[in-house]
Amino acid sequence: MPDLLGCTMPFLVLGSYHIRFELDGPEGGPAYVLVNGLTQYAELWGVYRDALVARGFRVVTFDLLGQGASDKPALAISQDDQVAALALLINQLGDVPIFLGGISFGGLIALRYAIDHGDRLAGLALMSTFAELSPQLLLLGTALRTGLILGGTGYLQDLLLPMNLSDAWLGPQLGKLEAIKRQGWLTNDVYALQNLMDSFLEFEPLTPRLHSIGIPTIILNGEFDFLTPRALHDTLRRQIPDSALVIIPRAFHAFTLEKPDLTAHLLFGFAEEVLSGKWRGDRSVWIAPENAGDPLIPFPKGHDHLRAIPAHGVSP
Amino acid sequence: MSVFLGPLDATGRVPPRQQTRVAAFLVSCHGAMARQLAIALALQTNAAWQTELNTQLYRESEFVSLLVRATSWTPDPELMFLLPSWEAAWLPRPPDGIPDRVQALTIDIAALGHALHGAIRPAALLPDSTPLQDPFALALRRIELESNRLIQAQILFLKRADLLPFRNAVNAAVESRHAQVRRLWDDMLSGIGVERGIDQ
Repeated sequence: MPDLLGCTMPFLVLGSYHIRFELDGPEGGPAYVLVNGLTQYAELWGVYRDALVARGFRVVTFDLLGQGASDKPALAISQDDQVAALALLINQLGDVPIFLGGISFGGLIALRYAIDHGDRLAGLALMSTFAELSPQLLLLGTALRTGLILGGTGYLQDLLLPMNLSDAWLGPQLGKLEAIKRQGWLTNDVYALQNLMDSFLEFEPLTPRLHSIGIPTIILNGEFDFLTPRALHDTLRRQIPDSALVIIPRAFHAFTLEKPDLTAHLLFGFAEEVLSGKWRGDRSVWIAPENAGDPLIPFPKGHDHLRAIPAHGVSP
Repeated sequence: MSVFLGPLDATGRVPPRQQTRVAAFLVSCHGAMARQLAIALALQTNAAWQTELNTQLYRESEFVSLLVRATSWTPDPELMFLLPSWEAAWLPRPPDGIPDRVQALTIDIAALGHALHGAIRPAALLPDSTPLQDPFALALRRIELESNRLIQAQILFLKRADLLPFRNAVNAAVESRHAQVRRLWDDMLSGIGVERGIDQ
């Protein structure tokens, strides 16, 4: 089956569904499985694939049901099917340490997998992720869904781009935003995106089950994330015992797109600490460096990490 | 084979042979939808659904009339063979497992509409360099945008509570119509040198 570039794509079969995936890196190495956000497609992890493969990891990327070249169920997409597809993919990897990372909606699917199959994972990386819908997120999600219905994928992209990316990133891209949007517009079908949005607007909160995640977990949150603000990530930190929250400076919701080198380095550093036995989550709070490779900074004691102003508050 | 229409001619137009084949397919399927909706509208007694069916009927008719005007038509002898097979494909196929035959027919109309409005993305065939004001390109973009709105009625109908006991039959009917429409659309495109790949 040729893709836009004329390449042949591998597919996994889940019942009547076909899941398009890509597997790179050395067989037998530790693996990173990366789960897309709502409007994304597997190729957007390219920088991560290259960076992690260069460090000896196998990297799996794929299109969720309803996305890209995977099958797009017509009437509804259940999160159970997404988790089953993820389980099927992970089962292909054999007996190696597996790290699972997900962004936004993909983080939600990764969370669900970790709750049900945590023993299969060495570590979990949650990026711009939520375990429940706050009133803000519910209303924003509903409004975005309405935007999709009325204006199509292009309008949804128009709403998401300024909401999820910084001026520093958008400024130089303003003249070529149409080209940037085009691949996502070509890849995504409105009814399938709508099914994906419905599946997250209707989901049961996972917060009461988070404590059962016993594996090392890194939680990455953009400093200025508007869509899924700090409080949603802090719920993850408080409920997952071996977790640490890392705040990405000057970043918004889509920091995996905006700061891929830094984020790939954080994912690698997390896996390296887990594999070497040095990881201690302790529900701690950290600030990521501005540049990939620089050390994490502990969040200053005595200040409230949920506030934007330096208010005194509960120590992390 | 390309995943887009073209190459565009010197004035930026999609070649008339491709325009003709794509427009003929869309006129066939949306014309069939309009005919089926006209019958469904005449039989519908629910005022809310009458309003929606009326909207759908006139939008489908608009697609046909828009394409007739915006397409650079050229003789295409293969259409003599293709059109009857397309027309046969749109004939009603009430799904099994629904005891009420009128309801089954209505489900099929909605399933066909869901497939036509969801699986067919005519604007996604246009190369990036297509002039914004090209009439054929404008028509394809309008059909795709309006299809995203029209499909909402099919989604509401197919997911309504009184169809829940028949969920499997409804699902199967919709998936079957999607598969059929995608196959015919892809076959038609392949006949004019376009190969859809990204979401096959």
